[in-house]
Amino acid sequence: MSDRALDDFRAEVRAWCRAHVPAGWRAAETGVPEDEFVAFQKQWFQRLRGAGYAVPHWPAEWGGGMSVPQQVVLYQELAAHDAPRLVLAFVSIHHAASTLLGAGTDEQRRRHLPAILDGEIWCQGFSEPEAGSDLAALRTTARRDGDRFVVNGQKLWASGARHADWCLLLARTDPHAPKRKGISYLLLDMRSPGIDVRPIRNALGDSHFCEVFLDDVVVPEANLVGPENAGWQVAQATLSAERGMTMLELAERLAGGFRWLLADCARPRDVGGRPVDDPVVRDRLARFETELTGLRSVCRDLVERAEAGTAGPADASIVKLYYSELLQRLTGFAAEVGGLDAHRQRSKPLSSGWESGAWVLDFVGSWEWTIPGGSSEIQRTIIGERGLGLPREPAVP
Amino acid sequence: MTASALAEFHDELRGVARDLLAPTSPSAAGGEPVVADWRQLARAGWPGLEVPEELGGSGASLAEVAVVIEELGRAAASTPFLGAFLAVSALRLVEPSPARDELLAGLAAGDVLAAVALPTGDVDDIVSPPSGHGDGDVGDGRTPGGAAGPVGFRVERTGGSVHLVGRAPFVPDAPDADRILVVAADPPSGPVLVDVVPGSGVEVRPTPVVDATRSFAEVVADGTPVDGARCRPFAGDPQELLRRGAVAVALDAVGLAAAALDATVAYVAVRSQFGRPVGSFQAVKHACADVAVELAVSRGLVTDAVEQLVAGAPAADAAVAMAKAHAVETAVAATGTAVQLHGGIGYTWEHGLHVYLKRAALDRSLFGSPAAHRARLASRYGAAPPV
Repeated sequence: MSDRALDDFRAEVRAWCRAHVPAGWRAAETGVPEDEFVAFQKQWFQRLRGAGYAVPHWPAEWGGGMSVPQQVVLYQELAAHDAPRLVLAFVSIHHAASTLLGAGTDEQRRRHLPAILDGEIWCQGFSEPEAGSDLAALRTTARRDGDRFVVNGQKLWASGARHADWCLLLARTDPHAPKRKGISYLLLDMRSPGIDVRPIRNALGDSHFCEVFLDDVVVPEANLVGPENAGWQVAQATLSAERGMTMLELAERLAGGFRWLLADCARPRDVGGRPVDDPVVRDRLARFETELTGLRSVCRDLVERAEAGTAGPADASIVKLYYSELLQRLTGFAAEVGGLDAHRQRSKPLSSGWESGAWVLDFVGSWEWTIPGGSSEIQRTIIGERGLGLPREPAVP
Repeated sequence: MTASALAEFHDELRGVARDLLAPTSPSAAGGEPVVADWRQLARAGWPGLEVPEELGGSGASLAEVAVVIEELGRAAASTPFLGAFLAVSALRLVEPSPARDELLAGLAAGDVLAAVALPTGDVDDIVSPPSGHGDGDVGDGRTPGGAAGPVGFRVERTGGSVHLVGRAPFVPDAPDADRILVVAADPPSGPVLVDVVPGSGVEVRPTPVVDATRSFAEVVADGTPVDGARCRPFAGDPQELLRRGAVAVALDAVGLAAAALDATVAYVAVRSQFGRPVGSFQAVKHACADVAVELAVSRGLVTDAVEQLVAGAPAADAAVAMAKAHAVETAVAATGTAVQLHGGIGYTWEHGLHVYLKRAALDRSLFGSPAAHRARLASRYGAAPPV
């Protein structure tokens, strides 16, 4: 796309944002009950969908089809206009869609992709109490019973499970196979009998993480994704590519966070004037700007190479690791430079991501990025082993 | 040229560069720097990459030079390329003339070695002295010995004669240069490029540095009479030379970091302790991963900076500052990590990693420290926030 066409597109998105981003949504959505949060999220999703902005990264035939430069512009403008984040639909439009597009059957795609556009919400049932970083050690079983599976076990950290219609489930279908070769990937209807969802309060006091207890839950064979016992491979293939796609938006949001930080530092303090006039603060800010620019560059590069099929096996891990640790450094610095003022008790709306401008909350919340989706330590191991080809850690017998 | 043809051309350049430079790498030479055969590099067309074809060059752009510079860094090669690159860059910024074209042709052919005398430290403006040294007074070159004093040159015109005054320490590749191109203020008009021959009143004092792969000299002019015809006004922005110097060092740093990481990964995969390769230990593996991450980010920034410079974009200035600030810190971290993870052997002279560490440390200071570049970025924060 020419620069001119891209400029036109930016003008179009900008005009749309001015007309459609709900004014004052942060104040209005802070502290609201869960069902109001869900209604607001679904309404915002439909508004974006109406403009063609809800799933820009999907293939055109399913309602997406934006080029990478266009997506970058879209995310830049949504960030610049402080639009609400699609936190509730995050797993649906990214992880579920990527799994269905990459490994699902035609029937599964036809059933779920349009439904996601209509508001179907998904959660992810991967982690378990004894299977965190060592995800392949998962114990939830799916016993084959004719043309169906019967699932028993417990899932943990299923974000948004309370509001989810469907769940991406990894369960053990062959207890005798080596641990990565006996897992299957299932689509679980959350309205099935035998499911008990219990919210877990996180460090910020929010409860979007859930425990999911599965007691003789029936999953029809038609909901198997990929071959039986190849679920681990399906998850690896669909999710590592996905890691990059989500980062394209997150990097632009973080750039928006940097602009807030800059504005914050330009505000005179009761004592000591403006932080932005302090050479130490200026150096840190310039370092953040540099790191952010680098992050945006590697994100664009990753997404472009993922589309061309030339991405390296650890490229997505590099981006995830760098993003999450930069987020932690930036919010940590913002909390520090904010002084005691930054510690005043505040709450933030669920519809924002980390980026609320309440820096201490954002800083505490940053561990939500360095731990899930493969902790920083796991990412470093992936980069070392799959990216650089270093020898694996010997397995404990 | 189409994008794919260009990518192919770059791959070819890179392949040739690796072949040509491999024998000169410090690890191949027991830790001693080996001076690359300049004639051979000139035959490969390197100094003439950006020289127009009618003058014997390739008419290529900075994007192609970038490939070569990164490979020079990867090999920690000792060559007069930086001087030649800056000389070609400077000459392309002045109006064409037969004398200018002859010099460009000589540079492209590898017959002439040249250096550009300009500030190479923490300086924002190519001809103004650092603040606090008087208003526009650049002339401490008259001081006997000329050691201290502000950096920079100016020409003084009295009657019909023209004199050059000033100094520049740490001029890359000046010791062996046949010609020195001096960037000098020429008030009240804009800066000029003064073409002088070393020894003819302009002193070139070699300055050995810890990094033995690089060659520097201090250039001092003590009111030296110069030919007015050899003072060429700039047609383009002379500041471009500082941007190009900074981006060249950033590219060199990326090459150094990549080489250090490759060497480290290869070593820790085979070095065995406690009955297993040390690279299988997380402490070692994660240190390598950290370097890989920083290198990916540096590479992104440097690639962006080169693109912006080629496009002549206004944002090039900030892009170069970011690239330089980030890449040189990555290089110091990568080469330092390489020495650490190689253990005792990495600290020996013979192994050669010290050459990479020293060159990375020098790169950090050459054409502006990371802190100076960040201060430059931060100068934009006072007014409107960057977009």
